Amino acid sequence: MIKENCKLAIISIKANKMRAFLTMLGIIIGVCAVIAIMTVGNSMTADVKKQLEGYGVQNITLYVSQIDWNEEISEADMENMLFKPDVLHKLSEKFGKRIAGISVEASVDGGKVIRDGKTANVNILGTSAGYYKANKVKLINGNSFNQYDYEQGNNVAIVSDKFIEQLYGSEYKPENLLGKEIEINSMEEYINVTVVGIYHYEAAGQRGGSKNITTNVYIPLKAAWNITHNKDIMECVVVAAEGENATVLSEDIKLYLTDAMATQLGDKFMIDAYSNQSMIEENTKTMNQMTMAISMIAAIALIVGGIGVMNIMTVSITERTREIGTRKALGAPDSMIMLQFISEAIIICLIGGVIGIVLGLVLGNVAVHFMGYTPHISFASIYMSVGFSMAIGVFFGYSPAKHAAKMNPIDALRYE
Amino acid sequence: MSSDILLQARGIRKSYYVGTPNELEILHGIDLDIKRGEFVSIVGQSGSGKSTLMNILGILDRQTAGEYILDGVDISKAPNKSLSYLRNKHIGFVFQTYNLIARTDAVSNVEMPMLYAGIPEKKRRQRAEELLEMVGMAERMHHTPDELSGGQKQRVAIARAMANNPDIILADEPTGALDSKTGRLVMDIFHELHEKQGKTIVLITHSNELAAETPRIITISDGNIISEKTNGGKGVA
Repeated sequence: MIKENCKLAIISIKANKMRAFLTMLGIIIGVCAVIAIMTVGNSMTADVKKQLEGYGVQNITLYVSQIDWNEEISEADMENMLFKPDVLHKLSEKFGKRIAGISVEASVDGGKVIRDGKTANVNILGTSAGYYKANKVKLINGNSFNQYDYEQGNNVAIVSDKFIEQLYGSEYKPENLLGKEIEINSMEEYINVTVVGIYHYEAAGQRGGSKNITTNVYIPLKAAWNITHNKDIMECVVVAAEGENATVLSEDIKLYLTDAMATQLGDKFMIDAYSNQSMIEENTKTMNQMTMAISMIAAIALIVGGIGVMNIMTVSITERTREIGTRKALGAPDSMIMLQFISEAIIICLIGGVIGIVLGLVLGNVAVHFMGYTPHISFASIYMSVGFSMAIGVFFGYSPAKHAAKMNPIDALRYE
Repeated sequence: MSSDILLQARGIRKSYYVGTPNELEILHGIDLDIKRGEFVSIVGQSGSGKSTLMNILGILDRQTAGEYILDGVDISKAPNKSLSYLRNKHIGFVFQTYNLIARTDAVSNVEMPMLYAGIPEKKRRQRAEELLEMVGMAERMHHTPDELSGGQKQRVAIARAMANNPDIILADEPTGALDSKTGRLVMDIFHELHEKQGKTIVLITHSNELAAETPRIITISDGNIISEKTNGGKGVA
């Protein structure tokens, strides 16, 4: 029965190719728009997600924020917005294995190192032991700072391979610099540090241009404090241990700190925490919502296309009134007449849908390519489009088909 | 149940615009019995109500009043839903305008009633081919209606009417659109079906000449049966 109906539908579509094509055009444009938008949206979401994941899914950033942003804060209040080192120590002890490290950084300033007329721009950053985990810094030579370096605030440094390349050229073996002292010109002062480790410089941006890259020179947190005479910890990053859900952990830490810092926070401040994990989730959600919203607008084209299908089915049925009468005289039950015309509507929509999907994928991928993202095809949207275009066929084909099925055979036969 | 009387009509009335001031009664109470295996012609001038009567006999339309029993089934009491089944199984139509389905070849046209009867594809095809051979259309089996002449179309239509081996064939002016030569050919097929296969055939026509060929002639005028006579022989004119 279904086979027969499909055959009949194809005969009828073939008989009016141009008309069928114009009808399909609405569906094609609608499906194409939905698929293209979904492809672009999905590619963007996937790309942003990948980028955020690069910053560490397990990182939880903590800071103190004002409850009432309109309230003025005094000098003393500013003091209350800082994290005290001992609180962070207690936090690290309290959560033990649940956290892989706590990263605190203190920015010193930018500076440059000059050697033989070559200049390397650097940014001096005081770091705690957790920093390397939080920021995925990969040590390739030497060691990270030891306990002693951290406690004493020794003038030791970890520099990047890029930095060495900038000063000594690419033939120079980086490990040769270990144990050597470098002089950084910063804030019109010279800071002398001994290189103890070398990390691999990871290009953050997409663009090459290796000339004027500024790389980080890491020194122990305390060393940085000694230079700047400023021990304020405005924010810190807790790295959740492997397998630990960062979103859950961040809530637990927030509760703990709110309690531990109660006197300091008073009723003016609160602990704020956000994790990359929750940011990714939030971001993906927002992006998906946006994609959905734009797709919905595109889907309006699909509905307009559906109305076109309904129109053409009405015309087609009116034209074939006598045929319907004949079929009824031959004993076609109402259900068969209905099935015949619904099949026709579905097939028109399905053909349009498939063409639309192909065009949409091409268009979406071209757009993604030019926007500089990695293409990410959404199979869900393809299934959805096929289903949706069939549903449009059924929905908009139903009423004309019903009309055909309910025709009185003698009236249909006599129709001129 | 298989009584001799295949078709029984009692007091059949048909009105249009029922209940309105300009109500129009076309049939004023027709009584008619047709026995199995009869070849009957219903003659009348245009406007006499013969086509209306045929539509009611063919269950394409319902009577306003009266009783119509076809092969033991009271049509006036049958639900709408089962009418298509009755048309499919019991009645074969031959129309003046052939009414073949366009863009569909002859064999598929003949298959159509069997498709609606749910007969499997192979069997359908086989029977359709046999029927087309019977009406002398075996060679043009795969031609679409617009590639066939009027006489050829009508032969395909007769084959189609025979598809489900119906109890009765209703032919409404089957030669009306044909020249006398092809009309003759079509009439010969009806005679053959009647004589060799014992089909019950009701021929509706305005031509007394054609009617004279049939064993029984019913004349209808202004919605009433005015005369009825039986012809001894088949009397080919």
